[in-house]
Amino acid sequence: MSKEGEAMARHLELGSWGEDRAAEFLSLKKGWKIIERNVRLKRGEIDIVAINGKELVLVEVRTRTLGKILPPEATVGPQKMKKLIRAGEEYVIGNSWKGPWRIDLLAITLGKDGSREMEHFPDITHGEYRP
Amino acid sequence: MSLVGGITLKGIKALKVEVEVEVTGGLFSISIVGLPDAAVKEARERVRAALRSLGVPVRGRVAINLAPADVPKEGALLDLPIAIGLAEKLGSLALRKEALFLGELALDGRVRGVRGAVPAALLARDMEVPLFVASENVQEVSLVDGVEAYAVRDLQELLAFLRGEGDLERVSRTAPGELVLKADPDFADIKGQGAAKRALEIAAAGHHNVLLIGSPGSGKTMLARALQGVLPPLSDEELTEVMLVRSTVGLPFENSRNRPFRSVHHTTSAVAVCGGGTSLRPGEITLAHRGVLFLDEFTEFRRDLVESLRQPVEDGKIVVSRSTGSVTYPSRVLLVAACNPCPCGWKGDPLETCRCSQGEIERYQKKMSGPILDRIDLYVTVPRLSPRELVGLEGQQGEKSDSIRKRVCEARKVQQDRWQSWGYRCNAELPEKLIRKELVLAGEVRTFLQGIASTLKLSGRGLSRVMKVARTIADLEGAAHVAIPHVSEALAYRETGFLS
Repeated sequence: MSKEGEAMARHLELGSWGEDRAAEFLSLKKGWKIIERNVRLKRGEIDIVAINGKELVLVEVRTRTLGKILPPEATVGPQKMKKLIRAGEEYVIGNSWKGPWRIDLLAITLGKDGSREMEHFPDITHGEYRP
Repeated sequence: MSLVGGITLKGIKALKVEVEVEVTGGLFSISIVGLPDAAVKEARERVRAALRSLGVPVRGRVAINLAPADVPKEGALLDLPIAIGLAEKLGSLALRKEALFLGELALDGRVRGVRGAVPAALLARDMEVPLFVASENVQEVSLVDGVEAYAVRDLQELLAFLRGEGDLERVSRTAPGELVLKADPDFADIKGQGAAKRALEIAAAGHHNVLLIGSPGSGKTMLARALQGVLPPLSDEELTEVMLVRSTVGLPFENSRNRPFRSVHHTTSAVAVCGGGTSLRPGEITLAHRGVLFLDEFTEFRRDLVESLRQPVEDGKIVVSRSTGSVTYPSRVLLVAACNPCPCGWKGDPLETCRCSQGEIERYQKKMSGPILDRIDLYVTVPRLSPRELVGLEGQQGEKSDSIRKRVCEARKVQQDRWQSWGYRCNAELPEKLIRKELVLAGEVRTFLQGIASTLKLSGRGLSRVMKVARTIADLEGAAHVAIPHVSEALAYRETGFLS
């Protein structure tokens, strides 16, 4: 395999490792019910689908190594946000979910010494989205 | 029907706004309908943050309707009812009866004061529903009699009260304050100017408009400011009117019976004086309601501004119409204008010589609008005292403002008793019809006035003004009927020679 291919494999690996940690965190620490993971839809992908109380939460997980230019939470821009909302709408309609739902961001930062930091940003759309 | 009510201001009146909330599933969003302005639209951020700070998360798609739908809503004063409506819909409380809420929310749930608390209190009283206001607004609300009002410091406290778990401070009525006036300057401090002081006393007694004409340094401005010190205190009813205006504009609360005194600079725009603007605010003439509107350097005012004062000065109210609607503001003011006799200012001065040509003087005096001058009851020439006179008067004390005010109050009382059944308070307010009917002069006085009126070429309005001023002079004296001396003094304050 070429050098580039190895690098890609490494970042994908890191991503799925982060998603595992995130799912553990949400179900064990927060007590949420994880419904699905890595849902592939026509209009995008949802990392984790969970239920928090009466609300459906779609979680986007971002994992990064410390020292990259941007912190993980800053990598979700307006384009990605739009994509997440579209994917969320598709999921909610496809599964006939009638209640409220929201999109959360879970940011994981890995330190050089193997330490990791996890930050949870609830409801990242903040009502900016208009139907 | 929604039990959550808010208000929006239309002129100086409060209109009830019903707040309806609907929450459906979906990604979080809040939309507000019912012609909200930018401040109302931004309420969604404040309301959501405030509710979240209390542990009430707002979820799903929220629609807020502000009824009636066709009345524009403005200001942050709807934050509180929106928050209560939302909290009720989300199940964190259940209202049992209708109530009005008024306040702006801080992000941490504190409730801030807003303008319009007094109109809201009057509305709540008439509707017989409780009113919840911010602590900052309590003072002004406490002056409204018969309203069930509660002071709210923060949203948590209010929610607890509505759930029946906590207590709120009930606003108790405070008695209106007294006249806390320090005559500044006092009439006793003004040297000489006996005639001008007398004219201002008459003006204060009958609420007559005054024009002070004099050279620079003759004391016009000082006299006008001293007028405030001899005005009678506001009555209960007038105090409510003044408070209503102050609350609508958001001026700081003041519990006193002092009459307003608004000094307007000649660069002020017509909208700032008459009221208007995109969101329709009252102007200076409304802020001076029941008090004095002072226009210094009257000839420097823009013509359109002066002309626009005509009707409000005469009618005591001003109708401001814009594309966003039309409102009526009160404008019962005592107009005091001051100006120089000519461009250089020295015409008629004992010491300086006037350097103006006849043409210049004519042009200068033409700047003053005839119709407005016709609405002025008292023309007062304020001569400059010569240094010798000033020194000669040193140490002599004139009459104190306090004792003049006592006379003024008595004269006011006589007028009030006389005109009460028609709904007027002072001689200057009388409409033409009532003057013809009620201010009947005795035979000889009538003949006297008729003779002079034709010599002076008085207009119909000019004539009634003379009669009103004569009535005030008689009232000051305590005379039951207007006699020739009263009329001749009133005629002396008519415009003579100034505009020749």
